[in-house]
Amino acid sequence: MKKTMLFLFVLCHVLFSCTKEKTNYNKELEPGDISNQEVKVAYKLNIGDYEVSIKTRSGKLHLGYNKIYIELTNRFTGERAPLDAFQFSAVMNHSSGQKAAAPYRFDLGEQVEEGPYAGYVVFPDQSSADVAWTLYMQISIYDQTYALEQEVQVEAQENKNLNMTTFIGEDDDVYCVALIAPQQPIVGENELITGIYRYTSFSNISTEYNPGEVEYAFLEAKGYTLKLDPRMPDPSMGNHSSPNNKDLAQRDDGLYYGQVNYTMTGNWTLNFILLNGQGQVVKGEDVPTDFTPGVEGVKSTLHLDILF
Amino acid sequence: MKHINKGIVLLIWAANGYAQDTTKLQDTTQTLEAVTITATAKRKMETDMKMVISIDEFLASSERISFIKRGAFAWEPLLNNMTTERSSITIDGMHVFGACTDKMDPITSYIESNNLSTIDISSGQQGSMHGATVAGNIDLKRKSTSFSLEKQWRGIYQTGFESNNKHFFHLGNMAYSSDRLVLDASLAFRKASSYFDGHKERIDHSQYHKINASFGLALKTGKFAAVRVDAIYDQAKDVGYPGLPMDLGLSRAFITSLSYKQLFEEGLVKSWDTKLYFNALEHYMDDTKRPENLVHMDMPGWSTTYGLLSNVSLHHGDFRSEIQLNAYDNLSIAEMRMYPQDRSRQTMFAYTWPWVSTGFVGFAVNSSWDITTRSQLDFGASFGWHYNHSKYVEFNRIFYPEASPHKGRLLPGLHTRYQLDINSFRFSVGLGYGHRAPSVSEGYGYYIYNSFDRYDYVGNPNLKNEISYELNAGMGFKKERFRAEAKMNYFHIQHYIVGEILHLGSPMNYQSVGVKGYASLKYAKIFNLNLHVGYDLLEHLHWKGELSYSRARDDKQEPLPFIRPLSYQSSLYFMHRKFGAQLSVQGDLSQWDFSAAYGEDHTAAYSVYNLSMDYSFKIKAHELTLQFGVENLFNRYYSTYADWGNIPRMGRNVFTALKFNL
Repeated sequence: MKKTMLFLFVLCHVLFSCTKEKTNYNKELEPGDISNQEVKVAYKLNIGDYEVSIKTRSGKLHLGYNKIYIELTNRFTGERAPLDAFQFSAVMNHSSGQKAAAPYRFDLGEQVEEGPYAGYVVFPDQSSADVAWTLYMQISIYDQTYALEQEVQVEAQENKNLNMTTFIGEDDDVYCVALIAPQQPIVGENELITGIYRYTSFSNISTEYNPGEVEYAFLEAKGYTLKLDPRMPDPSMGNHSSPNNKDLAQRDDGLYYGQVNYTMTGNWTLNFILLNGQGQVVKGEDVPTDFTPGVEGVKSTLHLDILF
Repeated sequence: MKHINKGIVLLIWAANGYAQDTTKLQDTTQTLEAVTITATAKRKMETDMKMVISIDEFLASSERISFIKRGAFAWEPLLNNMTTERSSITIDGMHVFGACTDKMDPITSYIESNNLSTIDISSGQQGSMHGATVAGNIDLKRKSTSFSLEKQWRGIYQTGFESNNKHFFHLGNMAYSSDRLVLDASLAFRKASSYFDGHKERIDHSQYHKINASFGLALKTGKFAAVRVDAIYDQAKDVGYPGLPMDLGLSRAFITSLSYKQLFEEGLVKSWDTKLYFNALEHYMDDTKRPENLVHMDMPGWSTTYGLLSNVSLHHGDFRSEIQLNAYDNLSIAEMRMYPQDRSRQTMFAYTWPWVSTGFVGFAVNSSWDITTRSQLDFGASFGWHYNHSKYVEFNRIFYPEASPHKGRLLPGLHTRYQLDINSFRFSVGLGYGHRAPSVSEGYGYYIYNSFDRYDYVGNPNLKNEISYELNAGMGFKKERFRAEAKMNYFHIQHYIVGEILHLGSPMNYQSVGVKGYASLKYAKIFNLNLHVGYDLLEHLHWKGELSYSRARDDKQEPLPFIRPLSYQSSLYFMHRKFGAQLSVQGDLSQWDFSAAYGEDHTAAYSVYNLSMDYSFKIKAHELTLQFGVENLFNRYYSTYADWGNIPRMGRNVFTALKFNL
């Protein structure tokens, strides 16, 4: 009897090695290049007794949204030091001589005492023969203020979920729309966060800090609405869309929040219409909603492609 | 002496799934269905027409069963005109759940006819013994040889050929029995090509290949106790479904159980039967033979079930009762991966069953009381707790944002029936009340394409229980050479679950025209009536006639889909000595009551004639039976109301079979 049971037990194991493996769903959702890596140092600068580390997830800066961590350590003891005051500016130098500041935000007030201090910057263009980027920082430690300057390389964005676009609106202003979240979408509800920025004369900015002496800057566009229609553009998907999406509206942190539902993994296009505070269309239009198998989906003139 | 009697009872038990009153069993073979606590009488796994049959053909011989046919293989049995969500289909009381979102694999497709001794069909709440149901229970009873005082070897080999689809089959059974040990084994092969319809056109993608093996070992552990291990392995390959846009590449099932049975000599408790079971199914669809499909897809599915069943049988005077505990846990997983036309681009993935677990624990009691020698009261109750968990509930939340990953339900059931014999007449009347929980697809399915109405279906986790109120009645008459029987049942089903168009989202499958979500109608009504008449014309010549009528309406008085139109069957049977012959005609009237709202269209009337002859003879000690027959004698071109996509049925089919007792 025991032998029989053992035989059956072994038989079970032989039979249960499934012919096809089940999909590893978590792996399916990884965008590939930004799996759960720890943040890496992108740049290191020395000031007095201190070392300033600029860290990002990939150890590099990319086109579009970048989350940045600033860490201050004592070069001799290795201990972290608190920032008393902090100023930041990312400046693009164009070969035409034009200079412009990138949008960013660091809210030191809400950060832990000793850092690392988290913020973000959105690079609207990547480094090239015509475009060079410089980071400027002004750091105060124990009543001492230091000015820093670092040329940086802004590389192409590899995660399509952080794609961005710049365009000229119907009002002849230049805008930038950059994806911030989700960086790793799921099939299901995703909170969609974007930054919307308008190219403005620097004189409109309340800060005095302008180390790069720029005339223009991308500033958070206030009071706009970003209407959303996500669709799968692949011909085989026939312009497939999802239900229960929510248009994006601005919150107190300056970013725009909405909701996108992805019904499956793959290529998606986020079709947008940007409306200003008066409800006038700045860019984009309604796309066809018909189900058209075999035909590539029509995209809005304002759209971002994502992939997961 | 008494001990010997008990010993014989134990021998009989091994053949019957349940310890029953043996005299009752004999009764039921001649009377109205279901007098005993376990429903209908035992029937051999063959029809009058055909001696070697498939399970589907056997089920088709019951007037309560009709089929949705998506091809030549794996028909979905409808019990009382209700789909498999509403019935419970079990193997010796064990729950097995199909692994295909498109219902390519009803449980009956994982079994072969030579695995089984019979199939019990219990209508409505009388089938609640093995778990909550609305339509009833189909219990597939496995073969199990009884212990014998003498050591015995037995073997049966059956083979045959059907001309229309070049269907070859080989079925073999071996059994060894002694007073301590029983061994059962079976092996089956089937291979069929695509069939031809009545216009001699080939129905592409209707081929199938199947292998099935089973093994059983029973060991007596005491004078009145035995353990038994059973295993079935089933594999189907390259099975076409002409009604669907995809075929089956491979499916495999492994169905096992370990049971312990104890009989008691004295006292109230007569037997105690406990079974632990496990089954695992895998099912891989295949569309590589359908170049017309715009999108290539992989759609694998898996279903794994663990379960426990424990049954106590009581008998005291005129009172018999069975109490059963049912518990199971199932995990259903189905995936869908679409490939873009540009294969270098990334594939698209979603779960069509997002790792849905179903747990159930329930008690059921069925009792029977012989009030007088001529009247009997059956009554029973069941109470179960049903639980669902969706691991990737984010899929379900796309359409139902407030959906919870957990859902618990209570499923009560009650039924009673009174039966009275007056002279040659027998009357019965019964009532039932019961709940059922939504199926995995109804609750948690995700973009499951239904090629019948061409909608993508999305499950609704917030569905209410379906509640059935049931009334049934029967009348039988038997005198000398004539017998007649009428049976009816009526179901009023509250919160009847159907798919309703969602004006949300858009289709995912390219053939689809929209998205439907499962929703509850206020109610639906289903009425079934069956008439049977039999007359012995001569000593060796018998006539049998059957008529079935059904009518079903939703809460807007619109017809429900897949309801059988008025259908009839009539057969003449001649048997003399070793020779038998049968002629039958069978058909449906025009389906004027079709349901356009659910994607049905009108199906014309048809009738089909069948003829068969068999002859038995002996070669030495071995008994042989030879059969020869023709189905659809006049090569009629037809399709029935429940043929998926109106695919035509098989044209003329000449079949031969040989049964050889070793």
